[in-house]
Parts: sequence; C-alpha cells; structure tokens
Amino acid sequence: MRLVDRFVRFFDQREPATPLALVRILLGLTTVLTIGSVVIHGLVPVLWFDIADGGYRSHPQGPWLVQLLGGVRPDVVWRLVALSLIGGTAMIAGVGGRFAALVTALSFRAVTGINSHTGGSYDLLLSNALFLAVLAPTTRTLSVDCKLRTGSWTDDTPQHSWVRWLFVYQIVLTYWTTGLQKVSSHWTPGGDFSALYYILQQPSWHRADMRWIASAFPLTQLGTATSWFWEILAPLWLLAVYYAATREREGRARRWFNRLYVREIFAILGVVFHVAIHVFMNVGPFSLVSLAFYPALYSHEELSRVIRRFSPVRSA
Amino acid sequence: MATSPSKPGAWAYVRAAFIAFHLVAISLMAMPAPGGGMSRSAWKDPTVQAEFRAWTDRVNAMGADVTQQEFEDRLWDFATGFMKARTKVLAPLGPYFKYTGAKQSWRMFVAPHRFPARLEFRVRIDGDWQTIYRARSDEYTWLGTELDHDRMRSAQFRYGWSQYAGTYRRFSDHYAARALEDYPDADAFMSVFYKYRTLSPEEARSGMDIEGRYISARVVNR
Repeated sequence: MRLVDRFVRFFDQREPATPLALVRILLGLTTVLTIGSVVIHGLVPVLWFDIADGGYRSHPQGPWLVQLLGGVRPDVVWRLVALSLIGGTAMIAGVGGRFAALVTALSFRAVTGINSHTGGSYDLLLSNALFLAVLAPTTRTLSVDCKLRTGSWTDDTPQHSWVRWLFVYQIVLTYWTTGLQKVSSHWTPGGDFSALYYILQQPSWHRADMRWIASAFPLTQLGTATSWFWEILAPLWLLAVYYAATREREGRARRWFNRLYVREIFAILGVVFHVAIHVFMNVGPFSLVSLAFYPALYSHEELSRVIRRFSPVRSA
Repeated sequence: MATSPSKPGAWAYVRAAFIAFHLVAISLMAMPAPGGGMSRSAWKDPTVQAEFRAWTDRVNAMGADVTQQEFEDRLWDFATGFMKARTKVLAPLGPYFKYTGAKQSWRMFVAPHRFPARLEFRVRIDGDWQTIYRARSDEYTWLGTELDHDRMRSAQFRYGWSQYAGTYRRFSDHYAARALEDYPDADAFMSVFYKYRTLSPEEARSGMDIEGRYISARVVNR
C-alpha cells in the first residue's frame, strides 16, 4: 500500500469517542477555572480593560475578534468573559456539540489575547486544545447531548478518531520542543542539573520560600535530569502511543515498546511532574491543561476498562 | 479497537491533506527560536551573562578559541539570520495561526533566572517610606490576592526585565493611583524591584541571607 494511502487510512479510523469526551470535559473545566479565577479575584478590569477604563495598559491592537466586536471596551471584555464561562460549562456538561467548543475557543482566545503580558504558555496550549475540540465529535458520549439523543449517558457508536491523534501529537510536540529549548547549563548534561532547584527559588513562580529544598538538592538534580530527558525523548512517547494502538501488528520495536510499558512510563512521569509543579509552583493552569490531553493517549477500550474498574456500579 | 472502512472515500483524502498541513504548520512554528529573547539589553542581564560564560567555557573546552564577546556576537548574528528566515517561512501560515489559535511557542523555563527581581510597593507617610506590598510576603500584603494571582505573576516577571520599562511605568502608575486612594495620608508612592542572586544549595544550607540591590524605582507624587 502506498504511504499516502496508509496515512489516509490511518486517519480514517473510527472508535467510540470516550477519549475525546474526557478531553472535552477537562478542557471545559480548565477554561472555567482559569477565567473564573480572574473574575473571582476581581482582576478582569486591571488585566483586560484599557488604561482609560481602569486597566494598566493600552490595547490599541486587540485580537482580531475583539477588533471585530468594536475594540477593547468593558462591555466587549465582559461579554467575552461570560461566553468563555458559559462555553466552558457547556463543554463540561457536553451541551452544544462543536458549537460550544467553538464559542469557548474564540472567546477564550480573544479575551486572554488582549494582554499577552498576563498569561503564559498555558493560554496557548489551551487555545490549541480548544481548536482541536472544535474539530472533534466530543459530545457523542458522556454528555447531555448524548443523553438527549440516545437516552443514555454513553454511546459506543464509532466516530472518527483522527482528532485524538492530533491531541497526542500536540502535547508531545509541546513537551519535545520545550525540552529542545532548555539549553541552559543548569539543565543539560555536562552541567550540574541544578535547574529545578534554582527555578524553585524564583519568587515569580514558587508558592512559598523554597530555600529549605537545598537540603534535598540531589533529589532536585534527579528531577532536573529526569524531566529534561523525558522532554527530549518525548517523540518516543508518540511512537509508544502508536505502537500501543497497533499492538496486533508485527514488529520487534512495537513488541518491546508494549512489553516495557513505554507509553505508561512516560504518562506516569508526566503526571508526577505536573502534580509536583502544581504543589510547589504557581504557574496558572499549566498542569491542568497539559493533563487534559492525557485521556487522548488511550483508546476507548482502555479507558472503559479503567472506568469500569473504578465505577461504583459493577455489571454482573 | 479502532475500525476503518474498507475503502476510504474522497473526503478521507481531503481530511488527510488538512491533517498533514496542520501537522507541518504547527511543527514548523514549534521549532526552537529565541523569540522575545532577541534583545541585546536582556542579554546583559547577569543570568544571561552567566549562561554565555558557561557556554563559552564549554565550546572552548571542545577545542574552539573564542572570547565570551565573540561567542555572543556570533550567536546574535546566527539568531538574527535564523529569525529572519523563520519569519519568511512562517509568513504564509500567519492567517492559519491567527484564526485557529494553533500558534506554537513553548519557551518554558529555558534557564533558571539566577538574578530574579521581586516587586515591592511603598507609600511615603510623614516622610517615612512604608512597604505595603512585597511579592510572596506574608507581612506586606496590600492587594496581595490580586498581585499574587498567577496572571499578575507573569506580568511582574516580565517587568523585572529592562525591555519592558515602558509598560512597567504604566503598571506602577496604575497601582500608584490605587495606593494613594487607599492610603489618604500618603504623599508619594514607590514601585521598585529587589534584584538578587538566588542562593546556591550550599549557601542556603549555611543559613546565608540573600543580598541584592533595588532597581527600577519609580516614584509617583500625589
């Protein structure tokens, strides 16, 4: 079979939309939490209003949607904030299909794009994820839409699964290219692997004074080396996810990847890193939005097995 | 298990073309680039200078013979050329990134900031400067829940760098107005960064205190 045909066939596959639904729920939750946190802290005017309306910056060039709506005016900003929250809530519940994801994606990107100084890579990653959610049939299962359509909360009818692979590619690309850019002598082999220790000393990001962690310096060195190699080797994770999804095929590398649980090792390390980041540092919703991609690493069957195992109602 | 129809239709080919385009576009944009780091003034920061020193030593240990200044200049030339080429390559993809939100930029913690800057606000009452806010302090907490929010942390991190001087000034003026309202007895407001070298593990274990200096002080009189 030609390479092009194999490519087309691979992305023409279908499976029940459970992984995509779980990603959707987590993305909605992340959107509500990050925008809601700004609202609760009373930060909407200072972050996103123009200097004339109570903000601290001028925003003559707002994002394209803000310009289209009339510019950075308080009423426009509040509408976008409200739409982000409504859209995010609709995504959690699974109401409105792709339209809810579209509204969330556009409004979130517009409002957070007003002041790029008060955001970070988490906004970018969430924007990317929301765009992918627009392309996917994420409310076909585990949603109010599903309940209304079928009478059941779940629907195992196979759906196109190509967007699941775009989610996997995106998160791997993010990890890999961030690793490639960690060129400091504190990160790279040949240095002293002290990057994490020193990052934890930065007042911008730590939750509390972290001088005490000097007594556990070797542990931070281990964390630095592990996270650097984990990021640099992230393309192997992509391969591992592919091999796990095609485990019925032949191939020595595939067999070894699956036997050594390479996909699971990468995922477990990722969860550990994100939890540690969240505990020790305040870098916004970065850990949450990153972990929102993780259900896409697994197939419907695998996730269903996990859900069944932890479900309080067991089938006979 | 995933299933696929026996023979993909024409629509499957169109979809595959879009997927290929998307993957190529985001991969190109995500490739490492200095981006906002292309600032000669930022390169003078002691954290960046320490990195240049370490890398100059490394390349010299591998047989090169360059001074730190030569290393910096060559890197600047290379980075300038690279960014020009990158801009050209990505230009046709601009509308795609703009309207889909698929922009990629993953420069996260490329190096620990060994000389961070901690924000402080003060007001002058009866001739005495009194600290009202200090980042991460439990003692000086005026507007603490607002200023310690993760989005404000991003802003404060940026405004400690010299290339953001203009916006930092407006940021200070904004909080000056609010502080002078909250402290009616104050006749002036000061915003300032305390820039210091973070302690090495050995220094921290020995109980040494951080030492630094105040920079970027901005005073606003009532």
